[in-house]
Amino acid sequence: MGATASKLPKDQLSEYQELTFLTKQEILLAHKRFNELLEREDRQQIGGSRVPMNKILTLPELKSNPFRRRICQVFSTSDLRDGSLSFEDFLDLLSAFSDSATLEIKSHYAFRIFDFDDDGTLDTGDLEKLVNCLTGEMDNTRLTSEEMKQLINNILEESDIDKDGTVNLSEFQHVISRSPDFVSSFKIVL
Amino acid sequence: MELREFRDSLASGFNDHYSPQPSLRHRGGPDLQENENTVQFDWSSHPEESDDGDSHQPQNLRELPLHMTLKRAIWQVQQMKVPVVTRWGSWRIHQSKAFRRFREDAKDVLAKLALWRKTIHKIGGHFGGGVQSYFLFLRFLVILNLLSFLLMASFVIIPSIVFNTVSFSGSSSIDSLPSVNMTGKEECLRYDPNPEALTVFYTYFLDLLSGTGFMEYSYMFYGFYNNTLVISSGFSYNIPLAYLLTAAFYFLFCLACIIVRMGSVTRIMVATGGGAVGGYSMLIFTGWDYGLQGERATQLKQNNLLYQLQVDLEEERIKQKAASLTLTQTVGLYSFRIFLHLVVLAMIVGAFFGIAAATQFSQSQQQGGIVGLLLEYLPSIVMTTSNFVVPFMCDQVARFEKYSPSVTIILALLRAVILRLVSLAVLLYSLWKQITCDGDVNTGKCTPCSYNSEQYQCWETRVGQEMYKLTLFDFLITIAMLVLVEFPRRFVVDNCSCKLVQWVGRQEFLVPSNILALVYGQTVVWAGALFCPLLPIINTIKFIIIFYCKKGTLFQNCRPALRTFRSTSSNFFFFLVLLIGLMLASVVLIYSVAIIHPSYDCGPFRFSETMWLVVPNTFHSLSNTTQEFLFYAGSQAFSIPLFIFSCVFLCYIAALATVYGKTVALLKNQHKMEGRDKQFLVKQIKEIAALSKEEQEPQQPPRSQAQWNGAPHWGGQHNPAFDPDTGMMTQPRAFFPDEFENPGLHYREE
Repeated sequence: MGATASKLPKDQLSEYQELTFLTKQEILLAHKRFNELLEREDRQQIGGSRVPMNKILTLPELKSNPFRRRICQVFSTSDLRDGSLSFEDFLDLLSAFSDSATLEIKSHYAFRIFDFDDDGTLDTGDLEKLVNCLTGEMDNTRLTSEEMKQLINNILEESDIDKDGTVNLSEFQHVISRSPDFVSSFKIVL
Repeated sequence: MELREFRDSLASGFNDHYSPQPSLRHRGGPDLQENENTVQFDWSSHPEESDDGDSHQPQNLRELPLHMTLKRAIWQVQQMKVPVVTRWGSWRIHQSKAFRRFREDAKDVLAKLALWRKTIHKIGGHFGGGVQSYFLFLRFLVILNLLSFLLMASFVIIPSIVFNTVSFSGSSSIDSLPSVNMTGKEECLRYDPNPEALTVFYTYFLDLLSGTGFMEYSYMFYGFYNNTLVISSGFSYNIPLAYLLTAAFYFLFCLACIIVRMGSVTRIMVATGGGAVGGYSMLIFTGWDYGLQGERATQLKQNNLLYQLQVDLEEERIKQKAASLTLTQTVGLYSFRIFLHLVVLAMIVGAFFGIAAATQFSQSQQQGGIVGLLLEYLPSIVMTTSNFVVPFMCDQVARFEKYSPSVTIILALLRAVILRLVSLAVLLYSLWKQITCDGDVNTGKCTPCSYNSEQYQCWETRVGQEMYKLTLFDFLITIAMLVLVEFPRRFVVDNCSCKLVQWVGRQEFLVPSNILALVYGQTVVWAGALFCPLLPIINTIKFIIIFYCKKGTLFQNCRPALRTFRSTSSNFFFFLVLLIGLMLASVVLIYSVAIIHPSYDCGPFRFSETMWLVVPNTFHSLSNTTQEFLFYAGSQAFSIPLFIFSCVFLCYIAALATVYGKTVALLKNQHKMEGRDKQFLVKQIKEIAALSKEEQEPQQPPRSQAQWNGAPHWGGQHNPAFDPDTGMMTQPRAFFPDEFENPGLHYREE
């Protein structure tokens, strides 16, 4: 029957509940939404199939997020590094962005999302791309290059404690830990 | 087998065991060249050692930022020694989560119910926080006026209507306690507000504009209300008392609302410190809201962030420039500023004299027709003109003063508020002079009636009319400005491309002057509310229309501000200015209630010496116990201890505030010290690592770089930690990074 999607076996469901921050309803909803993104023939085999990045980006929750591509790339475990997500990657994504995820998890993944060149630190290039994502990609919504330089200097002065010119994970988490709304704003709920 | 090997090698290696405390600083941190931010799980840690309670164990796994396959592997290992999570523990977690969700949902719903929420959000996105604060202020005033009108209506207007139309058995329409000797006061009883029988149509229009004629003797003004005292079976209602107490309560209610609003604004100001340390990195790292959906919301948020960044960066630039001036330059700047302040002061004082003269002239003339109308509106015209001209000139002056944007805004606001409110005070003062014959009630025209009965048969209605005219005129001028100046300006700028026009450019929405207009309008309403009970509802309608007009002109005619300002500190000043207006109006209220003799021929207080005397008179009709209780409450035996207690309480609060301030300063200092400590320790680590690297250099096997180039940096499916043949596994790696790309390990003393 083509219409009914595969159901999640109960033991897998409880396993996912153990390993992620999602509740049972959230996992089932994620299962349903992921199924809709899969091609029809892959729907029975939800465990093994991957959804390509451009399909993931059609989700309304991710569609206009300026960090959508980075999010897919960070959570993807694909060997081809093309940002495609399996169901378990998808659950990892939702778990990190869920209501009950801890500050550590969120700050860890936030750092990875902001690290555009994947080198483990936020250097000037990463910060510049980050600021441009935040303000918009159009020409009239960017900061001027002097403003950008001033801004990045200020950021590094405030958060780069060991003065190596980059922000590493610990320094990043140090800044995050002082923010009271980070946990509530780093949230994506289906 | 592989797993055990791995576990042993891991356990020997490093000291960052997995700990549930909120410091990820240990977790196999970024000091490792390849496994830079992979989290290593310490297999040797025992779940029973954790001291966080029974909910701890399940949380452990989820908190690992690893992929599902890895987590599953760890979980399978842990399964062997998983403790029992009690049902009580899990129920508690479930309840706390549900409660938290419920609270967030409730907050969401309340926010959704707010008036004009979407519009204001859109305005904030397009034009920044400064302009948005104007509309938020306007919304606050609309709601305040609406609630005040409901207060007035339910206690004064509706009972009056009811008692006028329905006659109660046993009611008396004349107060049974006339406290004024009525003989010899015939001149005072000549109030005749009824219009002539046949009137031309256009007089209706004139009457509508000036509050005379058919409008004068209506529920609109004080003069219409009677001093009805209704006593029927078990129900009594004293209109004069209700009138007075409602007016007093109205003022207290507005005061309470403003103070509550100011309190929340102040709290935000103190908490954020107006641009605190860590501001930029905090904004950039935590500023995005991942729950936003849709293109429009995203764009709005992006605009918001852009504006905020630009404002902060500009303020910093200005501060830097100001700090970099030499001594002579600073002295020159300050003396120039003092000179400009004096210029502004002179302009304001000049405006005052103009208004005083105009009011006197207008009050002494009584003509009919259009000329009469113009004369009646003369004070309003002069005031409005000065309110346009003087702030405009102050703005030009402010350009030379070179303050930062926030300070410029606050200064412009203070100057304009002095101008506006004191010009209103001058108008009221001139009125008072005329009504009470310069304060001396026993001379000249004021002799028989203790007020100037020749000019003012019913002076309260006249004052109410003046306030009504001011409100109306303000409204007409606002609309006229929109129609005659702003729309044509945009039309001209868009279609004419000559240089001068393009230099002038489109209108910019000036927040301070608009806020001042609102505060002025509200102060007029407060001053007139005692004499014109319907004024709050007129004001509500006026403000609602102004909201939509300003919104329209904002989106059609204005360009986004080139200079924005920090809205939190300015918000505080808006409410402060509003409070000043309330104080001014309360002076009017107290003076009219307590000192000036009410009119003999109109109004609910027509047979009292002063308006206030109604209260003591009613007081005597209360039961004995109530009287004694109130006497006691007012006597010295009670009030002096109360006063002393309030002083002590105040001192306590002041001391508490000082202590908090000192604690905040101390913590800030500590914070700075911590940063310096970290830098020092990092330097130490670098030195030690350099030393040990020199020692280890001859013993290290050559490492092929090729191994690392292709492998992904992040864990992924290929976690180098699982490779049993990696050379790195056998060496302690926590403290001694081979290359100093990321010497950012933070050694934390446990």
